[in-house]
Amino acid sequence: MFAALDISASALVAQRLRLTTISGNLANMMTTRNELGEPEPYQPRFVVFQVDPSVGAFGASGVRVAGIERDPVEPIYKYEPNHPDAIKTGPYAGFVAYPNINMMTEFTDALLAARAYEANLGAVEITKDMTQQTLRILA
Amino acid sequence: MFAYLFQATTIPTLEQVVRFTQARHHVLAGNLANIDTPGYQVRDLPVEEFRNYLREFIARRQSGLPPAGSEVLSPGDLAYLQHAGGAFLPGTKRLEHFLRAQTVEPSPTVLFHDWTNCSLEHQVTEMVKNHLLHNTAMAIMASQFRQLQTAIAEHL
Repeated sequence: MFAALDISASALVAQRLRLTTISGNLANMMTTRNELGEPEPYQPRFVVFQVDPSVGAFGASGVRVAGIERDPVEPIYKYEPNHPDAIKTGPYAGFVAYPNINMMTEFTDALLAARAYEANLGAVEITKDMTQQTLRILA
Repeated sequence: MFAYLFQATTIPTLEQVVRFTQARHHVLAGNLANIDTPGYQVRDLPVEEFRNYLREFIARRQSGLPPAGSEVLSPGDLAYLQHAGGAFLPGTKRLEHFLRAQTVEPSPTVLFHDWTNCSLEHQVTEMVKNHLLHNTAMAIMASQFRQLQTAIAEHL
């Protein structure tokens, strides 16, 4: 019965990481600089889920995050010539590149992740109850 | 000797049900875990085949035929039965045959844009049904163990 808990836990971890990634995207909605302080708009991240056969039993598999990928979407350009990160030359001179993050998509995704987390939590509760019922034979 | 003690009860049948429902719970938990995995195909145990197997199993027990390998409760009982004249049928299908998850044929009505066919509602209902079946079998089994205990203790 413990393998069922492992399977559900793998999904809880994966969904939480997905939610963390979404939070990161929302937090960086207006970020125009990278980790080094250079002007570079934040690219939204998304998680990639993969079936994990190393967790499981009876032919059932868990899930794991294969990686966190960057969405190579075009940034949104806003004309702000006095901004310190405004582009100096080229066709976009005077424009500031802002991250192209769709708040609607992110919130929908967050809601889905929360619901999936909840579903797996329900599975954990059922596993716990089944184990408890099995142990009742002893008592 | 316990194999014969339990023959008078439905405990061997209930044991089969419990082992199957526990295995199926693993598979359903795996489906829920992969609800957002692109391309994941729903897996399940062959419930219908298991029902037929259980029907045969009960019929065999009621007609007093010798138990099949999977009905024997412990290695000790197996050794005892073999010692007593090989009184178990080797040809019958064992429960282990049904405890292997298979991918379910993709349903034409449930298919999402990420090529999964995992419907959350369906999986959760199946899980609850499986849970109830497990607990029912467990409750009956516990009550039968209590009856046996009463019989052994010789007082109520």
